[in-house]
Amino acid sequence: MAGREFIHESGATHGSPNVDEVAAVGAVGELDVLDERAAQTAEPGNGGAKPLGLWADTWRRLKRNKLALVGLGIIIVFMVIGLVQVIAYPLTDGRGVTPYPPNQQNYDLSPQGRGSPPSASHPFGTDYMGRDILSRVLVATRISLLVGVIAVAIALTIGLVLGPVSGYYGGTVDSVIMRLADIFFAFPYILFVLLIMTVLGPGFVNVFLAIGILSWASFARLVRGQVLSVKAMEYVEAARAQGASDLRIIFRHVLPNSMAPVYVAIAMAVGGAIVTEAALSFLGIGIQAPNASWGKMIADTLTYLWAGSWWMVVFPSIALTLTVFGFISFGNGLRDATDPKLKE
Amino acid sequence: MVSYVIRRLLQLVIVLFGVSVITFFMLYVIPGDPARMLAGKNATEEKIQAIREQKGLDKPIYVQYGVWISGVLQGDLGESFYLQQDVAEMIRENAPNTIQLALAAVLIELLGIPLGIYSALRQYTFWDTALTTSALIIWGIPVFVLGVFMQWFFGLKLTQWTGLDIFPLTGAGDNVLWIVPASWASLSTLILPAVTLGLIEVAYISYMQRASMLEVIRADYIRTARAKGLGERKVVGKHAFKNAVIPVMTIAGIDLGALMGGAILTETVFSRPGIGLMIFQAIGSRDVPVVAGGVLFATVVYVFANLFVDLGYAAVDPRIRLEE
Amino acid sequence: MAERLLEVTDLSTHFFTHAGVVKAVNGVSFTLDRQETLGIVGESGSGKTVAALSVMRLIPDPPGKVVEGTMMLRGRDLRALSDDEMRQVRGNDIAMIFQDPMTSLNPVFKIGDQIAEAIMLHQDKGKDEAWRLAAELLERVGIPDAKNRVKQYPFEFSGGMRQRAMIAMAISCNPDILIADEPTTALDVTIQAQIIEVVQEMQEQFHSGVILITHDLGVVAELADKVMVMYGGRTVEYGSIDQVFYDPHHPYTWGLLGSLPRLDVVEKTRLTPIKGQPPDLILLPAGCPFSGRCAYERAECRDNWPAHELISEGHGVNCWIPRAEREETRAALPHFRSAVA
Repeated sequence: MAGREFIHESGATHGSPNVDEVAAVGAVGELDVLDERAAQTAEPGNGGAKPLGLWADTWRRLKRNKLALVGLGIIIVFMVIGLVQVIAYPLTDGRGVTPYPPNQQNYDLSPQGRGSPPSASHPFGTDYMGRDILSRVLVATRISLLVGVIAVAIALTIGLVLGPVSGYYGGTVDSVIMRLADIFFAFPYILFVLLIMTVLGPGFVNVFLAIGILSWASFARLVRGQVLSVKAMEYVEAARAQGASDLRIIFRHVLPNSMAPVYVAIAMAVGGAIVTEAALSFLGIGIQAPNASWGKMIADTLTYLWAGSWWMVVFPSIALTLTVFGFISFGNGLRDATDPKLKE
Repeated sequence: MVSYVIRRLLQLVIVLFGVSVITFFMLYVIPGDPARMLAGKNATEEKIQAIREQKGLDKPIYVQYGVWISGVLQGDLGESFYLQQDVAEMIRENAPNTIQLALAAVLIELLGIPLGIYSALRQYTFWDTALTTSALIIWGIPVFVLGVFMQWFFGLKLTQWTGLDIFPLTGAGDNVLWIVPASWASLSTLILPAVTLGLIEVAYISYMQRASMLEVIRADYIRTARAKGLGERKVVGKHAFKNAVIPVMTIAGIDLGALMGGAILTETVFSRPGIGLMIFQAIGSRDVPVVAGGVLFATVVYVFANLFVDLGYAAVDPRIRLEE
Repeated sequence: MAERLLEVTDLSTHFFTHAGVVKAVNGVSFTLDRQETLGIVGESGSGKTVAALSVMRLIPDPPGKVVEGTMMLRGRDLRALSDDEMRQVRGNDIAMIFQDPMTSLNPVFKIGDQIAEAIMLHQDKGKDEAWRLAAELLERVGIPDAKNRVKQYPFEFSGGMRQRAMIAMAISCNPDILIADEPTTALDVTIQAQIIEVVQEMQEQFHSGVILITHDLGVVAELADKVMVMYGGRTVEYGSIDQVFYDPHHPYTWGLLGSLPRLDVVEKTRLTPIKGQPPDLILLPAGCPFSGRCAYERAECRDNWPAHELISEGHGVNCWIPRAEREETRAALPHFRSAVA
């Protein structure tokens, strides 16, 4: 149950504590078997049963989890909007696909300098510079999507190389890599991110790098664990007997079979990356003007909350929370659906 | 058990060494001229050169590191560039508030244990669904968002609607016995931040506890317990409980360690003096010794917290303890 | 004449799941007398464990339910008991040990604690006394240094010792019936023999009846007095050990026996595993569950459950193949040619 969980204040690597180590579950031995049968399609009465593939079974179990499905829905919406904005952004010179140009100031729309509340023409209201908030929220989706994808991609790249290598070769290589991972785990997450941002300086690209570089350890450890158990299995022996090289064995045989918990970890990691970026931007060292991210929008408009202009803070907050919730919910659902011990 | 402890301690040393190296590297080496940094903002070239020689900064990096780390190990974390204060002193000043906050938040989050167990035992019922859904949603709220809204609601709106002005929005009060709030005024500054942190953690812990309990309740040994004729209360309260709670307790322990190291977002939102805020402000002003000292402090605390949690786990779960 | 301990008639247990109704046990009947050992054999999914759990009323509900049948324990109707009353029966009148002693013992409590618990519950003894008895029991099942062992955790025991500890726990309250679900499956072959011995000894000492559930015919042959062969939730054949092993009448039984390596057969014969897969318990045919896999299947097998046929006293079978034809077919099978008269 590892995998970089969601970032809290504590930034602890939640999830490594050892729920797995709780004594193994049985279902009532045979009942397990019965459920297996129940899950399989069979030609009537032929006494034969074809097992469904792993994915079909996972999907079936996932379908029963309403929350996870909602989460998946949110993720899909998020990705579609984000993708549209990512593609459109450079093409429309920074506007993206929005009702109004997100950076277009219009002080008429901000009487008393504190924006105008949601209305028919501006469903999310306008901010203190008269900018349409709905447009800004939409455009900021681009940042969140990029952060989620790129940062996690970086972490995966490093982790999916070091992890299998560490697990497969064992010995000194393993020790070294795992000690390195330990050191990365030793820092409280957000402090470490801050530290790296201090060194790299604020900005767009540095945020991706910082988050990505820090998250590799979770993936590496996770995959290594999987590799260790897969390594002992027979088809690895078989491959080796056929003369396959180590590298080939690792990447063609061992890795693909170790991936199930990694997908869960990815979902959680994307959620975590999005929040981390928001937190950094909130603190002022993440995304810089004129780029907008949800975190930055919240930070910029905080003071207006006290003046009564709640919409400036609320809508980006909802977007942020909803998106993160989507990833967490789906990630948890995915974990439950792939956990062999939780079959009913 | 003994060999386990020794192994962990050795690992600890290596890790702390690595942490110090990375910290040193990132703060002193990468940005450039450490002598310039140590000399301070407005130092003259001569002063910088003097410091360079005095501190041996013209020596190879590993020597510089050696000098720095030996100072650290003796308790000398250097002096702030801007505040005319020893870093160690600053940490001593800021620590109590942070520890206070951490303890309060963790106490609150322990409520997640009964909630999670209740939810697991009533799986699929209305309450289970309600609790689990709420838990997931709250878990997803970024802490600074929740902090802001707590302030807004309990600080502003509550006052507007009822005229009560209970919760100060910012700051912290005096303490006695180092970490105990000395008065209601002081305590009231603790409530909102602690609840903010605690609420999100309660959501997380209750979800994890539920998952843990669900797994345990399906275990073979639970079936054995029932086969012996034990009543459900004993089966759950004795056999299931211990197994289900252990992993969750470790989460709480790790949280405590992490929070002690700097609940930076919460402290920023609530303008509450503490280690986290101290580090953050130092980052802003490029006050390198303070950042280094703060990060080292926070990390060391976190590492030791993890160690204690691991040892505690071993103490409670005999398998770890005895499986040499 | 031995006392009749357990009488199960027409037991049916179904599970109502998302995917459909799993008919784990259908119309199973058996009896158990004092000092008798009944072996229930069959493959995974045949319903043997579910049948045993049904007797103990340990079937999780939902999704499971005993939908039909009577279970009489020394004249008491088990299905009619209240939850509290049933709890007093469990561990006290009927005890059960499970397949994997590693996962069946609570890892975070000492062995002594787990044994004493049962004693304190059913026999109203104090803690010290219960622990003392626990140590005695451990000694009885052959665990050396019992006084110290009793304070240890399951993890510190080897597989065989853990199973002995389970047995000690089960017999701690002197139950009339001991149900052993695959007690040797998770253990080394060498340890298996020891465990069988322990069970036998305990049976001698306590005069209990034993229900031995297993797929291992060798264990059954050694330990049991009579055997019931289950397939797809039904009993296909039953009888004494001699009857079933030497005069088997059901094709499935032939298959089971035929897939055993035999040392006494002189001619070279191949092991004949039973072709095909176990049935899907949701999509069971209305007739014989073995249809679709039986080499001698006939038209009526799939849709009609064969009538019960009594072959001799205490030996029954459910099969559509007429008896004479059966005996003929059997005689031609490689494994029986040389051994069976």
